[in-house]
Amino acid sequence: MSSNTVEFNIGQGREMGVGGAGTPSPLAPFDIPEPDIGTERMLINLGPQHPATHGVLRLVCELDGETVTEIVPHIGYLHSSFEKLGEYRTWNQIVPLTDRMDYLAPLIYNCAYVMSVEKLMGIEVTERCKVVRVILMELDRIFGHLLWLGTTAIDVGAFTPFLYSFQQREKIYQLHEALTGARITTSATRVGGMMADLPKGWLDQLVEFVDEFPKTLGEVHRLLTGNQIHIGRTQGIGSISAADAINYGFTGPNLRAAGVAYDVRKDRPYYDYETYDFEVPIGEHGDCYDRYLCRMEEMTQSVGLLRQAMKRLPGGPINVEDPNISLPSKTDAMSDMESMIHHFKLITEGIPAPEGDCYMAIEASKGELGMYVVAEEGSTKPVRWRVRPPSFVNLSVIPKLATGHLLSDLIMINASLDIVLGEIDR
Amino acid sequence: MADDSISGLDAVEEGPVSSSTDSGGGQGSTGSPDEHPTLAALLDRYPDEIVRYRLNAGDQYVVWMKPDRSHEILEWLKDDADHLYDMMSDVTGLDYGNGRPINVVYQMYSTTYKLALRIRCELPLDALEIDSVVDLWQAANWLEREVYDLFGVTFRNHPDHRRILMPDDYAEGHPLRKDFPLRGRFSRAEQTRRALNQDVERFYLAEDLVRGGAPQEVAAAEVGGAISPSESDGGET
Amino acid sequence: MGLGDILPGGGVSATTGGFGAETPTFFTSKVDALINWGRMNSLWPMPFGTACCAIEMMASAASNYDLARFGMERMSFSPRQADVLICAGRVPYKLAPVLRRIWDQMPQPKWSISMGACASSGGVFDVYSMVQGIDTIIPVDVYIPGCPPRPEGLIYGLMMIQEKIREESLSKHFEHRAEDPALVALPRASAAEVVGLTGPFGNSTQQDQLTGGIIVAPDTVPDDLLS
Repeated sequence: MSSNTVEFNIGQGREMGVGGAGTPSPLAPFDIPEPDIGTERMLINLGPQHPATHGVLRLVCELDGETVTEIVPHIGYLHSSFEKLGEYRTWNQIVPLTDRMDYLAPLIYNCAYVMSVEKLMGIEVTERCKVVRVILMELDRIFGHLLWLGTTAIDVGAFTPFLYSFQQREKIYQLHEALTGARITTSATRVGGMMADLPKGWLDQLVEFVDEFPKTLGEVHRLLTGNQIHIGRTQGIGSISAADAINYGFTGPNLRAAGVAYDVRKDRPYYDYETYDFEVPIGEHGDCYDRYLCRMEEMTQSVGLLRQAMKRLPGGPINVEDPNISLPSKTDAMSDMESMIHHFKLITEGIPAPEGDCYMAIEASKGELGMYVVAEEGSTKPVRWRVRPPSFVNLSVIPKLATGHLLSDLIMINASLDIVLGEIDR
Repeated sequence: MADDSISGLDAVEEGPVSSSTDSGGGQGSTGSPDEHPTLAALLDRYPDEIVRYRLNAGDQYVVWMKPDRSHEILEWLKDDADHLYDMMSDVTGLDYGNGRPINVVYQMYSTTYKLALRIRCELPLDALEIDSVVDLWQAANWLEREVYDLFGVTFRNHPDHRRILMPDDYAEGHPLRKDFPLRGRFSRAEQTRRALNQDVERFYLAEDLVRGGAPQEVAAAEVGGAISPSESDGGET
Repeated sequence: MGLGDILPGGGVSATTGGFGAETPTFFTSKVDALINWGRMNSLWPMPFGTACCAIEMMASAASNYDLARFGMERMSFSPRQADVLICAGRVPYKLAPVLRRIWDQMPQPKWSISMGACASSGGVFDVYSMVQGIDTIIPVDVYIPGCPPRPEGLIYGLMMIQEKIREESLSKHFEHRAEDPALVALPRASAAEVVGLTGPFGNSTQQDQLTGGIIVAPDTVPDDLLS
């Protein structure tokens, strides 16, 4: 039996070998001249039609092997000019447009928009309306995070959380439908209140969801949080420092994962958020794993917020009882002349706004959503309606985050930013 | 039904009815500089650059500044220890129409002092230029590109001054201006023809990227922890 | 006499039976049924999802509505391996050449579904940047209305495609699959048709429908209005 000692040509086999310093691996080839591998960089185009770009995003990447050396994102493939359309619509006619921007968490956009207009006009909504809107916003925070969870997991190959999260989302779809009649494009709010009060049995359905949901969330935790493959694909990937995160305009869980304690609900609270008892998870490293953990914990905190909000839900009217702002009930409009005139004027003309502008910042599921409305004296349509989309600014950081990582890490980083192209391109 | 009332359907076709009042100078509260520390400091330090200020929507202060020293003012707001506006939430444009100046609106926030401020800068239509603040806040990179794309405002010293939402060769103008019709300037057939003539492989050339060339030119630090096999020295993997 | 009189296509004898442009026979109709059964029960969708309708498409593929029972769970993101293009969501002009290219890359037999109001007609977005219906770009077999259509709506549309496939016949192979190479990658509708598709106002409230010039005189008001 011949011994296994063979003369290895160490210098030339080094690049192909796997062993540590100085030790030739028995698998290392010997006596092979260094192969002439092409050393040009490769241009890869991802999208705009691609399963893992989470929408119509185009990433042109320059790769050195598998390593990304340069990325240029191209957006605008879903530009629907919401903002220009808004200039042709009265205040309430814009609400259906807001659903279609962030279609993953439409109620948050509905609420944010009318909150901005109400602030501009100086309208104070009823207590019940405030709590109902808090419930809807927290519900849609869970809704948006669930989709992020399913699609991010499926991007790295975990198919089961996708099915689990969509199953939970179905329950929220049922809740949306029971409230507004539509699953996704809810258009639930109006200036001064809501399109309708909560129907009978809705709160019971919500309680059922809130009781069952943590179990599924726990299952996904068990599948992913300690999973070595998941950890290997997310820890240390796409890190950003806190100072950079603020400078680059990160907001939401992306910013908090980097260690910055900025949550619009805590720092610029609205709708009595300062009286609710909840925590905001703050990360350390700013990598994909921290963003994952932040969002998972946020879902748990939202469940707590939902329970608190349901407990404190007061009775009373849901809409402001001002006939110049809220539509009268149908029975009144059909029987009482004054109500009919108010109804007519509100529908044909709209609500006149005072001169000025208003920037309302809301903590959406993706980050700080800013709704900026500008009005002229007595106008029933905005002069300018600007949406500051959190994903737009979050996505602009992707060249900084992904350069130097592998192509598959780029996919993970893109997924972990939780972007939705509808709001980026508007 | 009065003759001059606009029915709901017509209203959908008409744009906003703009008034002839001065933008933002009319009725409403002017507030007091003492309530907002930054406002007082700005009036104190740049009395000539600050045109006016106003309190809108109950508790939001808006300041108008002149465009000439905008970069200096914004830099001071970012770096000064009493103000530290480290977060640029939003940069957007605002066109009132009728030949009035286009406003560039900056929404700023200080995470240290938890203060928000809105600064607006009026640019006359024949001088739509302002200094870019990308060197101060990287968040402004794409935000300013969008203002250029939709309003036509040029940002001096912007590192990547090109359109972002519309195609790069979009020939119909700047969409969010008030004189731009809702459905565009070309007919639908022309828009379809132009769309289909676009080359989908555009921006897929090495010239569009900043760097190119052989991998050996990449500094090891820039590729972080990634393995660079062609650069391995003996003994390290 | 005989089978030729009762089969569709009139009198056919064994000499003219078979595939191709001739009339179908009993034999070919059985082969058609087999092939159509195979095709319609294993459609591989190409999900060209852009916006909200894409989320409803994902919900259709998830467990509650489950496209897998139709054989469509294998969403093929490569057009080369797909049968039916589901365009779910709004398509701006910047995305139009991409859609056209993906359609051209799909091999025959292929079908297309326009899911949702925005893909079918532009939807809410009659604006400068939105394609007013993808049938100006690619040929569409089934339109699914809705904003967004419910998953049941998408499933109904897919079943309509299945119906369409069931009606196909190999003897009409060239008719079904015909594509004029000169017209590939060009807009499907002519200029006048495209303009006509955008409704009574043409392109803008002041623009003339075909010439694009600005109308100075307003449209005549119908004289049966009260005011």
